[in-house]
Amino acid sequence: MADISDILADVSRDPFAEYDEIYASADRGRLHSGQADLQALTRAWINERGVAELLPWPKDGLIERATALVKAQIETVETMTGDMDPKTNFSLIIIQTEVERWKFLLRSLLRARLAKIDRHALHYLSTPELQARMSTSETAYATRHQQLLHGHYLSSFLGAFPPQLQNLNDTAGGISMVGGPDMEGAVFARGLGKGDENVVVFGRGREVDGNVEVQRGEVVVARWADVKELVEKGDMELV
Amino acid sequence: MALPLPPGLTPTEVAFLCEMEMVTVIPRQKLESLNLLGGPTQPLRPPHRTPLPLWLALLLKRQRRANILPPPWLLPSSLERILKQETDVKPQTFSPPPPHPYLIRSSPSHTDTISPPFLPSSTANAPSDYLPYHWLELGEILLEACSDDLQEPGRVRTLLRDLREVRMAKMRGSTKDLEGGGVSSLMGVGAMEVSEGRGFIVGVMDGLRKLGSSREAARREKEDDEGIGGAGEDDEEEDEEMGFE
Repeated sequence: MADISDILADVSRDPFAEYDEIYASADRGRLHSGQADLQALTRAWINERGVAELLPWPKDGLIERATALVKAQIETVETMTGDMDPKTNFSLIIIQTEVERWKFLLRSLLRARLAKIDRHALHYLSTPELQARMSTSETAYATRHQQLLHGHYLSSFLGAFPPQLQNLNDTAGGISMVGGPDMEGAVFARGLGKGDENVVVFGRGREVDGNVEVQRGEVVVARWADVKELVEKGDMELV
Repeated sequence: MALPLPPGLTPTEVAFLCEMEMVTVIPRQKLESLNLLGGPTQPLRPPHRTPLPLWLALLLKRQRRANILPPPWLLPSSLERILKQETDVKPQTFSPPPPHPYLIRSSPSHTDTISPPFLPSSTANAPSDYLPYHWLELGEILLEACSDDLQEPGRVRTLLRDLREVRMAKMRGSTKDLEGGGVSSLMGVGAMEVSEGRGFIVGVMDGLRKLGSSREAARREKEDDEGIGGAGEDDEEEDEEMGFE
């Protein structure tokens, strides 16, 4: 994972050239802008912080692009520091404050993901669908984490067990040893609407199951499993 | 390295989010447009009103380079009206959130799915009769940073406190609807209220779900056997519970 705080100074380059390059290379049929990226990043962060399960790695290279933007902006700041006119000095403070806000969003998002991977590493490694939720570096991290843990278990007590009891992913008796996050946990979600229609959630309750319409901007409490698909499709967001 | 916090935003994170709300400032000094990551800012030309994100407005305010124009809903007269709505008109539900500010057409547009804090619900042109999602944080931040720009700050402070108490009681009362699981609406709730109430509400929901899980499984099995859909009936019942207007 690229460490965003560890940015090397490269003053000789034109900082805005890189900024333009980043947006020129991002031709996915959709126009990217800083504002759209900020909104997407903020939503990804709130969603990730709102639920116990690891969400899919943000689409369209959002994290990679945001990291590159922050890096380019820090380089601009470094070039600007040279000229100590009091007027640019204040602009510099504003630009730096904004960069720090973006860095906080990125860091908090990645750290929240790491915490989830730490908790259920084997679970997210267990099927290809779950593995696809992680980025390449996250998969490498989870694999290494699991290797270390398994090695530690083997040397401290697992090695003394009979071989048939040494598995960490037994499903004997219909119960899997691999624990995952609570998929039925309660979450707070907001309807984002679909064109001029409301989002429909199929809610499961103790006495009744049924469809509930959620208006645009309406916040509801629901089970994660009931809104998961809608959140991942972008029809709802967590709050 | 990994984040040691449970799911849900903490109050400081909610305040951080609130600082992305747009507010209107009246600059006292010129400032050229800046190429920020979130897009270029509008150039400041005194005394022209300019929309800026709250964090930047606070920075300018602290250095006395600008004044912040409070949103219309933060005026004492508006807060009084909203408080009346909360206590007398609809004592059971939260006052409604502001309507979506962008036109919704049948063809989808990127503005359809914009949500707080990126909706302009606290600029000088915002509607005055609705509390936006970040009402409490925004009110507190403005009272703290620029009480000299507000009308009757003492009165605003009292009204905000009254609103908060009325609405916290509603938030606690909403746990009654959670008993049966399903989807319960908190239409009009604020960000700080979600952050404060989350621990309790999630605890109640998850605890009751575990207690009722065998009953729920048995009911589902029975329904599968009898082949009852029953979705139409459920719909009505749930809608009533949600207090749709």
